[in-house]
Amino acid sequence: MSVELPFQISIPDFKLDLLRQKLALTEFPDELENTGWNYGAPLSDIKRLVARWKDGYDWKLEEAKLNQDLPQFTKDIEVNGFETLNIHYVHQESSLANAIPLLFVHGWPGSFIEVRKILPLLVQSSPQFPAFHVVALSLPGFGFSEGAHKPGFAAEQYAEVAHKLMLSLGYHEYVTQGGDWGYVITRIIAHRYGGKYSKAWHTNFPLATPLNISVNPILFLQHLFTPYTAAEKAGIERSKRFEKEGQGYFHEQSTKPQTLGYSLADSPVGLLAWIYEKLATWTDSYPWTDDEVLTWVTIFYFSRAGPAASIRIYYEFVHSANGSQPSSFKPMIPLGVSHFPEELRITPRKFVHSVGNLVFQVEHSTGGHFAAYECPDELVDDLRKMFGKRGPAFGVVPGKNGYERRIRANL
Amino acid sequence: MSSYKIYIPPTTLSTLKSRLENAVFPDELDDSGWAYGAPLADIKRLVARWRDGFDWRHEEQKLNAELPQFTRDIEVDGFGTLNIHYVHKKSEGGLGIPLLFVHGWPGSFLESRKIILLLTAGSGDARLPVFDVVALSLPGFGFSEGPNKTGFSFTQYAEVSHKLMLALGYTEYVTQGGDWGASITKEIARRYGGEHSKAWHINLILAGSPETQDPSSYTAFEAIEKDGLARFQEYKRSGNGYYRIQATKPQTLGYSLADSPVGLLAWIYEKLVIWTDAYPWTDDEVLTWVSIYWFSRAGPAASLRIYYEVEHAGQEVGSTNFHIPTIPLGFSHFPKELGRIPKAWYHLIGNVVFEVEHDSGGHFAAHEKPELLVGDLQKMFGKSGPAFGVVLGRNGYDG
Repeated sequence: MSVELPFQISIPDFKLDLLRQKLALTEFPDELENTGWNYGAPLSDIKRLVARWKDGYDWKLEEAKLNQDLPQFTKDIEVNGFETLNIHYVHQESSLANAIPLLFVHGWPGSFIEVRKILPLLVQSSPQFPAFHVVALSLPGFGFSEGAHKPGFAAEQYAEVAHKLMLSLGYHEYVTQGGDWGYVITRIIAHRYGGKYSKAWHTNFPLATPLNISVNPILFLQHLFTPYTAAEKAGIERSKRFEKEGQGYFHEQSTKPQTLGYSLADSPVGLLAWIYEKLATWTDSYPWTDDEVLTWVTIFYFSRAGPAASIRIYYEFVHSANGSQPSSFKPMIPLGVSHFPEELRITPRKFVHSVGNLVFQVEHSTGGHFAAYECPDELVDDLRKMFGKRGPAFGVVPGKNGYERRIRANL
Repeated sequence: MSSYKIYIPPTTLSTLKSRLENAVFPDELDDSGWAYGAPLADIKRLVARWRDGFDWRHEEQKLNAELPQFTRDIEVDGFGTLNIHYVHKKSEGGLGIPLLFVHGWPGSFLESRKIILLLTAGSGDARLPVFDVVALSLPGFGFSEGPNKTGFSFTQYAEVSHKLMLALGYTEYVTQGGDWGASITKEIARRYGGEHSKAWHINLILAGSPETQDPSSYTAFEAIEKDGLARFQEYKRSGNGYYRIQATKPQTLGYSLADSPVGLLAWIYEKLVIWTDAYPWTDDEVLTWVSIYWFSRAGPAASLRIYYEVEHAGQEVGSTNFHIPTIPLGFSHFPKELGRIPKAWYHLIGNVVFEVEHDSGGHFAAHEKPELLVGDLQKMFGKSGPAFGVVLGRNGYDG
């Protein structure tokens, strides 16, 4: 059993000085007139953020707050056919002993920070709703986890790391929540480790492919004869726009991540723009403060593996077998889905049934891609409903249903 | 019009040097070769050379000595006046055929460097035609001003190019283009063909399938066509990430390329290597090429915008179904080009009078295979060529 070491983020001063030096020497491009967000992140936003990052933004303060809010640890996890990776994670147990173990998996350009707001809510104990023990790892190559050094470290390996982490913490049975890459990874967890280990999964990013009459005949026909709701129509339009205008990053990251990586490693403003554009355009009018954005980006800038490492997940996924046949399996364990209207890709509701054993589905009227960060109350509420006493996934983890054990009086 | 000499101020050179000194490199996966992009060892070596050893001043002087350069204001409808940088070399003796050479991305006026002497001097063989060569820096590239408004697309690039030729007194001319130059010269042929543009030659031939053809049903492809289509599919599968980001979020990418010479170097170097046919780049050759982008008048971020503008103008790069130019068209095929499409499709682009297959060479034909490309132009426009004498009074020969 590998040793768990407590971890505190502590970026050395000399690194912060070097960052500020680079920021002071930033060379900005020009910008075409009146382009708004059409060509990418606007120049005035980026200039303002760089100025703040250089002077005024206090990483040491933010770092201390992160360390205070998020109990963090590191542990070595061995990956079959690869290497042992030192994994950074957040782990907070509920005061309730039989809380439901929940693994939260982030995506890109996310990080462990996305658990920040839902963590204190999830661990809360109450007779009204279930409590959770929460584990939120930094995926290999992100945050303060080591990155893989060899090619081929794909979604299966990320799933293996996450699963083994849960086991190593004594959580042999657990549930998962994930969006973005977290969806892909928790889907693999549900498929490979579902039943025996993973008992249920919840996602806010259900990527479903169109139904096929030979694979899902009933769903196919239902879909054919059910008119789209207004929300679905709007969602389909949004998905089309995203495919047409918003996937450039995906194509570059999944084909030439090293080429892009030189820019992201050498240019803080380049990294800032690359990520900030997503934070702004993938959310539902979330009122980002400059310091919020900068904390998010600084985690990438000072990530253990460097900013170029995290984007390799795209390349590895697309080049792996799973990348070419994403819908070839359907996990049997209960699935819950929360739909947020400003998500990147909206699939018609009927399609979602092909993703897994759908037992819970909620439609929200606000919120975007980073649900746990934008809409923590709603997301936690959904999990509480799904796993709560009257929920479809109540008691999936034997002996850990998230409520106080009632003491039976011995009469 | 003013004559122009490239001169990068010493402060700009020393700023670049200090940025290179402070370069932060990413790591790299073990044994990944070129699969994930430009390899770390190459980039580190190039950065070290760029920082210490590469002599820009020397390269600059050579360029100024070889390439007579000028700037001139050209007015573009709806965009005001742009100051355009260009190379202009007249033929030595003889009535040179006015030839406009149009580069693409990540190219520049530099691509005319090797062909210009061969085209203007004619290699002393009286049987071969000579040319007057004009090679502009497209707006936003090299030392030309860039537009500051949106919507500057093929129409405008063609307009600038055409007006430049008129301003130089060439009311009739021919064109040669690869990469964006192929599309821009096609636009020139459409808009100004017949009256002004008299013939066009391209080395990048990409177009969609004709509307009436279903590509999967076309079984009569020759081996070379199948191969070329496969190359093109592969390019779309694994090699056009740059295109997709540049065509949608050029500003977002632009911050990196404007701020990091290493980032810019890698972004361009990757193309210089993978788009050429084992071309033996020297480090200094690469660095000269990339320095032009780093020192460009509009900045490195500006050149990317052509992708966005083209994609959003509703003008498809390879559309075959508007008004087809009628002026003579010549093709040179180089095997390591990004891809090729079946003959039956690209013959619909224009009035094909000349076509050559080469067995070596890639995307940057003028730089990789200058003798071959010049040879093709000499054949196409020469005395027994299909486009001989297209320009009235300037057929490339004495008297």
